[in-house]
Amino acid sequence: MDYSLEVQRRFDLPHGAGELPDGTRGVVHGEAEDRSLGIWVRFDVQVHEGLIRVVRFRLFGCPHAVAAAGLIAEGLEGQPARSLSCLDLRTVADDLDLPAEKFGKLLRIEDALLACWRALGATRD
Amino acid sequence: MSERPLYLDNAATTAVDPAVIEAMTACLGSDGSFENPSSAHPGGASARRLVEEARERIAELVNTRAYGIVFTSGATESNNLAILGIFDADERPNGHFVTTRIEHHSVLDTAHALEARGIDVTYLDCDAEGVVTPEQVLDAVTDATALVSIMHVNNEIGVVQDIEAIAEICASRQVRLHVDAAQSAGKIPLDLSGWGVDLCSLTAHKAHGPKGIGALYVADDVVLAPQLHGGEQERGLRAGTLATHQIVGMGKTFELARPDRDGPMLANLRAMLWRGLERIDGVRLNGCADRTAPHILNVCFPGVDGESLRLALADIAVSAGSACASDLPEPSHVLSSLGLSDALAQSSLRLSVGRFTKPADIERAVERIGAEVARLRTLAAGAPAWCSS
Repeated sequence: MDYSLEVQRRFDLPHGAGELPDGTRGVVHGEAEDRSLGIWVRFDVQVHEGLIRVVRFRLFGCPHAVAAAGLIAEGLEGQPARSLSCLDLRTVADDLDLPAEKFGKLLRIEDALLACWRALGATRD
Repeated sequence: MSERPLYLDNAATTAVDPAVIEAMTACLGSDGSFENPSSAHPGGASARRLVEEARERIAELVNTRAYGIVFTSGATESNNLAILGIFDADERPNGHFVTTRIEHHSVLDTAHALEARGIDVTYLDCDAEGVVTPEQVLDAVTDATALVSIMHVNNEIGVVQDIEAIAEICASRQVRLHVDAAQSAGKIPLDLSGWGVDLCSLTAHKAHGPKGIGALYVADDVVLAPQLHGGEQERGLRAGTLATHQIVGMGKTFELARPDRDGPMLANLRAMLWRGLERIDGVRLNGCADRTAPHILNVCFPGVDGESLRLALADIAVSAGSACASDLPEPSHVLSSLGLSDALAQSSLRLSVGRFTKPADIERAVERIGAEVARLRTLAAGAPAWCSS
């Protein structure tokens, strides 16, 4: 498998890898997995005054998935919370030169962030 | 320029020994033995002498007569020639072939080709450690069996099969035995005449020789149909101008190989590698610890995605499954045969040492693998059980 320099860079030093400590204020969690694709991902997202402040993720999966999660995490920080529900996956795929067979993993990353968005709505309720 | 990766993939191929390069180079130029070994002129005779000397060196290492050595392009061609050659020459209408599920693809794909021709094939299972017993072979052989093909050392997990006992069973049932010895020649002793093996595939490039040259040992009484036509070279079994430099290279390779010296040296390096890696939490050895070749170590790192581990270790040349199949996302057929889940098979690495591997290389590999396994496990902390089982 060949990897773009961007994937290699983001795999070596993924932005946002890790978790937010228990008890951190304003944090929602979202998780998704697909055993057949070999991916599990969990996001911790801290939202304050309608803006995404910090994004952390944990992930079991391939280098493309790690790089994609890091790229998305970096892009979300500082954005309005509703960004969790409207990711631009095409741009992510293009930026990472993602092979078509890896698109399914990108969708699971999106699922985990949509779960965060739903959890955020639940905290408002 | 970036540093060259640490090479721990000697089961895939090896660096050519400088003495082999020197011997080969001497055959290439206008002042060397470049002539066609089949030519009648003095230059051809000189090249022919070099070919026959190489044949002698190869025969000595595997303890058989030089007459039985037929040069090919490598073990894949040798496997094809042995298997197809037996069945093409077999006059019985319905043949039967016995092999195992953990053979190299050059045997398995040839078996599939036989099946397409209507020949019955029995694939023996191995146990969870990769061992196939002689009793399994005995149970599988029928009156219709024309050939049994079992590899000596498995290329992925390094398990050594009991060829001597299997050969005894085949002889008692008057069935021909073919052995793929691509991984074992030069590293562990081979006694083809003593064991009574009928056909044996050999290659140079796994033992610090050149790629593109191999041999098939064919016992005197074996009738084999050639698979290449257009010349009477190699007793009419393999047509084509003999590649003197390649053959000389293989001869020098086998002359330099000393299983009594190299085997223990490689085994020490492998043991050092395993001692370092077994300190990693949850790591497991794939294959049988007590029946392993000295140069191959196959280990599983549960909870680590295999593709990520391989990129993380881009500074170390290793294989996942066999090198021939490592671009495929499917797990290795050998590891699956051991009963490993897809996740565990994907989380496995084959590391293999060679003549030029240094203890410092092993120390560096252990340190790097330990660090990357820890990093990737931290990244996946909290992952569900299927990621590590």
